[in-house]
Amino acid sequence: MLEAITSGLTALLTPQAMLFMFIGVIYGLVIGILPGLGGVVAMSLLLPFTYGFETAATLALLLGAHIATIWGDSVTSILFSVPGSAKGLALCFDGYPMTKQGQAKRALAASATGALLGGIIGAIFLALCIPLIRPVILALGPSEYLMMALWGLTVIATFSEGSLMKGLIASLLGVLVAFIGMDVVTATPRFTFGSDFLMDGISFPVAMIGLFAVSEMMKLAIKGTPIVDRSLVTEVSTVWQGVQDGFRHWWLVVRSSFLGLWIGVLPGVGASVAGLAAYAQAMQTSKTPERFGKGAVEGVIAPDATMGANEGGGLMPTLAFGIPGGESMAILLVAFIGLGVVPGPDMLTKNLDLVFSMVWIIVIGNILVTIIGLGITPWLARLPSLQANLMVPIVLSVCFVGAFATRGHIEDVLVAAVFGVLGYLMDKYRYSRANFVIGMVLAVMIERNLHISLTLYGADFLLQRPIALAMLVFVVVTAALPFIRSWRREKAMVAGAGS
Amino acid sequence: MKMMRRKIVLAGMLAPALLSVSGRVAAQASSFYKDKVININVAGGASGGHTRYARLIQPYLQKHTGAREVRITLMPGGGGLKAANYIWRAKPDGLNIFFGNVSTLILAPLAGSPGATFDPTKFVYLGRATSEPRVLCVGGKSAIKSIQDVQKLGRPFLYPSQGTDEDFYTMAVLADALGFKVKAVTGYEGNADTALAVIKGDGDGHITGWSESMAPIKSGDKHPILMVNSLRSPDYPRIPLVSEVAPANKQATVRAMATILETHRSYIGPPGMDPQAVAAFRAAVTAALKDPGLLEETIKGNRPVVHMEGAKQQVLIEEITKASASLSPILKAAVKEIQ
Repeated sequence: MLEAITSGLTALLTPQAMLFMFIGVIYGLVIGILPGLGGVVAMSLLLPFTYGFETAATLALLLGAHIATIWGDSVTSILFSVPGSAKGLALCFDGYPMTKQGQAKRALAASATGALLGGIIGAIFLALCIPLIRPVILALGPSEYLMMALWGLTVIATFSEGSLMKGLIASLLGVLVAFIGMDVVTATPRFTFGSDFLMDGISFPVAMIGLFAVSEMMKLAIKGTPIVDRSLVTEVSTVWQGVQDGFRHWWLVVRSSFLGLWIGVLPGVGASVAGLAAYAQAMQTSKTPERFGKGAVEGVIAPDATMGANEGGGLMPTLAFGIPGGESMAILLVAFIGLGVVPGPDMLTKNLDLVFSMVWIIVIGNILVTIIGLGITPWLARLPSLQANLMVPIVLSVCFVGAFATRGHIEDVLVAAVFGVLGYLMDKYRYSRANFVIGMVLAVMIERNLHISLTLYGADFLLQRPIALAMLVFVVVTAALPFIRSWRREKAMVAGAGS
Repeated sequence: MKMMRRKIVLAGMLAPALLSVSGRVAAQASSFYKDKVININVAGGASGGHTRYARLIQPYLQKHTGAREVRITLMPGGGGLKAANYIWRAKPDGLNIFFGNVSTLILAPLAGSPGATFDPTKFVYLGRATSEPRVLCVGGKSAIKSIQDVQKLGRPFLYPSQGTDEDFYTMAVLADALGFKVKAVTGYEGNADTALAVIKGDGDGHITGWSESMAPIKSGDKHPILMVNSLRSPDYPRIPLVSEVAPANKQATVRAMATILETHRSYIGPPGMDPQAVAAFRAAVTAALKDPGLLEETIKGNRPVVHMEGAKQQVLIEEITKASASLSPILKAAVKEIQ
């Protein structure tokens, strides 16, 4: 084992591998920052250039780029409320309010530190748990995925401040939008009105670009002020504060990282759910959940730590079974085959040094991203104070190009514009946009997994799946925690007033 | 004798003229794409197999067509139907070409899919780039060890499926031909998801392309029991072909299905495509797929080329569609079952 750890590192310490890692990271950061493009696009564009190089160098290039897109995604979510891809959504909830409060540097640094720590925990876990991967993956199935989605639903209450009814209406609207397209169970078109374009459904990243970014730019254009008006709000935070936040909330980081690993080993659950679930657990376990959605740094650290660790988790099904857990892992699998490596149980014996090379790539790649990220944060933090007449056309152009780039459909530009208007109206009349998105992400996942669970195990599927039952208990307890805390607080206040 | 001599003289006079005309057509065809831009509409996403093949062949197509640019446009969605519908309505000037899985284009109309607004026989087939056998696998620890075990299972064969793709249709045809019942469990996200369901034992088995199942078969996580192809695999010669186990009255059906699946990744053009463009593109596809540079890359990247000439494919598609009328009720019944 020790030999594999050192030979895995040695393979990476060649000039070619280090250069490839550096190129991958810089390239991944750029791709990640562009809305609509994420790790999958970054890796697929690199793939044709990987043949004929050292194995470790090839993996360093691909994985380095993929890792860097995680923080790249977070940057635009925090600064402009423009989610780079589906997984960056959760960063908009608290990152953007922090920017508006003059804490952009702190938010960006906390996000980079969260991703770094999550990435390292994920990599260590991947290294330690290789022998346990297979039984863990085999123990999980659609019923457990269903519970994960239900957990995500519990966040709806958080964003329903003021009116639970409005919160539920927003979620329901999200569910209806998610149902546009081919029904995943019966393969019949739903709400498509005979349109070819609608057969594929509404793209989630495009809807987010519209709901959050386009609508925010509409608000800015109407107000005519920058996101952060430096004459009213000065940048009060520092990069160092953000780094300290990451370490100060170490227990949150650990919890979020394990959540990321857990979601990573479940193929088909997806990173967008990972971000939302991370946000849900951070809020539900916080002693002050009322700060969430208004600029709580924990709401930035948790999703990034989860997504950082998700990387290690996502590699597990690919390495253990040769079955890619997602699109990016499918690309990695193609690279493996090109390199003559057959993933599967043999990875543990014949190619253990390669597994450790990947563990090292995740660690070194994350460190590199964090160093570069922290270095450029002071400059990035200045961007939200650009005048509205400069900011709005630039961000809107990037948004519409991003909407087009997501699937290459010109109709998606129109969808982004329509969702922009919808987002603006929802914000104006206090219907939570976050709840809309949660409904949209989780609707199909719940429909899909509930159908499979009922078909495979029958109506009493929970009794046949003890892990799912335990997860349901956990979901109920964590959802009830904030209410119990608030009840206790009120009781204590009444008791205090009485005495 | 006089008459004969006159015919010979006439033929002698016409021959150079005919030769020059046919030579001019060939020359026009070979220079048809010179300095033009060709749009290859790939029916797949950024990371998909169709896109990887399209990008691999792209520079060689440019070289052999003489085009100024061969542009790859990704048009994923509807299992390839979106790109096919687009090409169906495209201007037949030879500048818009589809690249993707042709078997879906044949199967979807047969199954009465509402998304298919075209007639597959009217497309112009320009050449197949590759094809791989489909294989029915069960879980490595499953009690099912052969296709005969499936036939005497005594309960429906649980088939995890991601929807009405070509593997779903293939399974329906196999069940009909080999006389067993299938219960399709739809809603799975993709092949990774269905593969894990089979390995875990949640489902009995699933059908995939050979390359997708190669790693789990080698590691023992999956066990292949049947191939839907016209030839046995040289690596796994013991796996029977569907045509070998199907009864005589079902031979035509299973052979039609196997041939449909073998059409796989191909270039097609819109109905009524300019004949000069057809000739030029078919020739360019053949030349590109035989280019030593491309062949070297396919070996390096482990992406084999299994070429079929466009003209041969055109004849085959018409034959398949005629022969596959018997498939239609089977496919429609399978779709109805999950609705």
